[in-house]
Amino acid sequence: MKILIAIKQAIALDEDFEIRADGRDIEEDFFLPDLNEWDEYSLEEAMLIKERHADTPVEVVCVTIAPDSADEALRKCLAKGADRAIRVWDESMEGSDPVAIARALAAVAKKEAPDLFFAGVQSSDHAHGATGIAVAGFLGWAHSAVVARLDYTPGAKEVVLKRELEGGLSQELRLPCPAVLTIQLGINKPRYASLRGMKLAAAKPIETLAPGDIGLATNDCGESGSLARVRRMYVPEKQRAQILAGDVAAQAKALAAIIREATGS
Amino acid sequence: MSLDGGMMDPHAFTRILFQDFPSWEVSFFYLVGFAAIGSFIYGVYREVRKYLRGVPDARVIWDYAHIKQGIVAIATHRTLVRRDPYAGMAHRAIFYGFGVLFMGTSIITLEYDITSKLFGIHYWYGDFYLWFKLAMNIAGVSLVGGLIYMMVRRGWIKPPKLDYARPDRAPDAPDYDRSNYRIEDWLFLWILVIIGVSGFVLSGARMIWLADRPEVWDIRWWSPVGAFFAYGLRALGLDAEGAVILRQLIWWSHGALALTLISLIPYTKAKHIFTAIISLVVRDPLPAQRLPKVPEGQEQIGYRFLTDMSWKQLLHLDACTKCGRCHEACPARTTGGPLSPRDVILSLRELANSALQYSAVPEQSKLAMHGTGVGQVSSETLWACRTCMACVEICPVAVEHVPIIVQMRRALVEEGDMDPLLQKTLQTIHKSGNSFGESRRKRGGWAKGLPFPVKDARKEPVDVLWFVGDYASFDPRNQKVSQAFARLMHAAGIDFGILYDGESNAGNDIRRVGEEGLYEHLAESNISAMQSADFNRVVTTDPHSFNTIKNEYPDFGGQFEIEHYTSFVMKLIEEGRLTVKKQLGHRVTFHDPCHLGRFNKGYDAPRKLLEAIGCELVEMKRCKDNSFCCGAGGGRIWVPDPVGTEKPAQNRMREAASIEGLEVYVVSCPKDLTMFEDALKTTGYEGKFVVRELLEMLEEALEINLVEAEVTA
Repeated sequence: MKILIAIKQAIALDEDFEIRADGRDIEEDFFLPDLNEWDEYSLEEAMLIKERHADTPVEVVCVTIAPDSADEALRKCLAKGADRAIRVWDESMEGSDPVAIARALAAVAKKEAPDLFFAGVQSSDHAHGATGIAVAGFLGWAHSAVVARLDYTPGAKEVVLKRELEGGLSQELRLPCPAVLTIQLGINKPRYASLRGMKLAAAKPIETLAPGDIGLATNDCGESGSLARVRRMYVPEKQRAQILAGDVAAQAKALAAIIREATGS
Repeated sequence: MSLDGGMMDPHAFTRILFQDFPSWEVSFFYLVGFAAIGSFIYGVYREVRKYLRGVPDARVIWDYAHIKQGIVAIATHRTLVRRDPYAGMAHRAIFYGFGVLFMGTSIITLEYDITSKLFGIHYWYGDFYLWFKLAMNIAGVSLVGGLIYMMVRRGWIKPPKLDYARPDRAPDAPDYDRSNYRIEDWLFLWILVIIGVSGFVLSGARMIWLADRPEVWDIRWWSPVGAFFAYGLRALGLDAEGAVILRQLIWWSHGALALTLISLIPYTKAKHIFTAIISLVVRDPLPAQRLPKVPEGQEQIGYRFLTDMSWKQLLHLDACTKCGRCHEACPARTTGGPLSPRDVILSLRELANSALQYSAVPEQSKLAMHGTGVGQVSSETLWACRTCMACVEICPVAVEHVPIIVQMRRALVEEGDMDPLLQKTLQTIHKSGNSFGESRRKRGGWAKGLPFPVKDARKEPVDVLWFVGDYASFDPRNQKVSQAFARLMHAAGIDFGILYDGESNAGNDIRRVGEEGLYEHLAESNISAMQSADFNRVVTTDPHSFNTIKNEYPDFGGQFEIEHYTSFVMKLIEEGRLTVKKQLGHRVTFHDPCHLGRFNKGYDAPRKLLEAIGCELVEMKRCKDNSFCCGAGGGRIWVPDPVGTEKPAQNRMREAASIEGLEVYVVSCPKDLTMFEDALKTTGYEGKFVVRELLEMLEEALEINLVEAEVTA
């Protein structure tokens, strides 16, 4: 029994950051990297399945598609008890969008053949919310997004779950395995990874693979394998707000003046 | 009288042992005696075996200086008279009384059973015998007098710390009840008192029995108490015939009790005779100031099982005499927290006695220290500790509670068993290097509000490196104090600088939380930042940073000469580099920060400074070594106290408020400023007196007027 978990080293920004010279990202000096918050929950969910069913061996494998700067995020997972960590990367993968990332993740999933594939609902930096579900698309597996509760016994042929819907609704689903699930915050209480645990995890190996090792061609990766490309990144102009005073007629008049000014008519 | 020039042979003046005993009684006595010694030896073996089931303790040093300080402490009873002088003096009376009587008995045994039988040497007669008798009488009075005071104390004075009430257990918990301890306390006292008094009765009875012999009766006043009993017994109508019977009865009761006591020493609280002495001899000079480093290559950290403790700590558990000084001093216990340092020690003792005292070490589950079962310590109890060291500091037998608590917390941290807010803070510190979650770049931001630049010690050499610390760097109120200190150093012409974003949280409190990995990370990062700077000495306004840099960084290769600002500024004034221009004339009280006072004995400099600036210092009852923690230590500043209970800082405000006419409550620690300014508001004393940082008062008294000083960050 195996659970594969997609991991992302997400980026928080230091205050007073600067945009990169090419205008398509933030200058790396201002990055404060950390394990994506959602991934803490999906890893914890996998660890709970592993620990609750001590009689069935469960292997928890973490995978990330990122350069070696993401090793720290994988180590945190290893410190929390993941059995293995895989990182896939080479320069050709630079500029990958969620779909290109998902293609690589799906290729790893084919190789690893897990019973369950977990991803976070979204990442705390780019917030596409696309990667997990795109993996399901590539694999053609059953899938469910925004999972808020999970019942699974290792070795079972199906998984029962509750997912969150808009408007405070919940939905209960039964999915056949293997399945791809994106995990929502709050499904559990992620454990603390002590610094010592992380240091010890530094001794555990991280399997590093190149796209070729998982059967990807160069044009499957990076910008050529992506559907989207970042054109520019910028701080939106500050919007103005004002309260219009006076009676309705005066307010309407003031509003019309603003519209005229903005449209230049 | 003296025997010099007397008519009689001095050899006549002695006591004939077993006088008129039938030989079977003598044999029986020896049989019982050997049985008692056998029981004693087996008991000692069992205890030593228990202690040796702990791991070796690299910090125990058996050298002359350590042994000497231990013996001096025992001989003077210095640690026992503190904060409980009468009990200490009574114990001293018992200690010396018992000690002299024991030596006396040994001297007799040595002659009777060894020197006389093997070598024909006799010495217990004549003048020596007379002085011996007198010494034994004085010792007996001392012993019985001390014991009677202890009985009065337990029976009538009844100090609350001796009621053994447990704050860490519900009254229906199976190990809540401490009445067994109470029974043992009383039995111990009664056995000793009866041994002492029966000795005197025996002496009196012998005098009546042998009153017709001058070698007995004529020297009766050499045992004055015995003689007093002789007259008393006679007045009650005892004649020589009755005295023979009484003597035989008392002889056997006295002997039986004494031998019972010896046989029971290793099995009862009497074992503290040995454990407390060893504990004092192997005491660590920096028990809480310098927490244990994890040995290279050790994977598991912290204490989970009794056998993770060192032999010395297992011995500490048995050294505790339940005197309650730590229970009384503990800020967590005082404010209703689920922790009494004494009960941590007693719980673990009970656990050790049930798990480690048998021929085989049981399975690990029986050795688990964490939990809510009998003899276990709960995580609530461990997290209630503020590592203020009040318990360790006052313990008369050198029990070191704090390292045990922190080691147990290390295991909790590994398990993630902690307050979610604390967990978040630790993650924040790991990510940003400070507990405020602020950008590293803003660490030196407070210096921008000064009319002169503060040197970047990473870029240019300075004389004094100022290690600022988290609170002094980021907390807006404390930033003002930092600016005041900068102006003060500037005015004194000190060449100083800071590390700006090269500095991280010093790690003192992270280490006391038990997040050792994060501490190592912070310490190593600060040490490397400091080592790459060029400076002569370090100063800080933060006692927490001061403690860890001074006492703990050396273990990680960082040797720095560091001073707290109080002694640093005092020297500047003494050297004339700063002049006090204005006498403030306030009526003040001073709060000793744990990490400056108790941890590092910095009691004098702040008081001298207050005197120099013309303040009238009125001490609180709990001051200096007994200073009452503000509640922020051990990482507790990051964990909110439970709603509805009194916080330690509030308790302290009430104490200060009882000083008539108090104007200023003076602090000298950034965390104290935060804690007490808050407590002043919540206790409603705002307007009655103010909380001020000593630095701000110094600035006022030194009249450091920099025009631009009004500029704030």
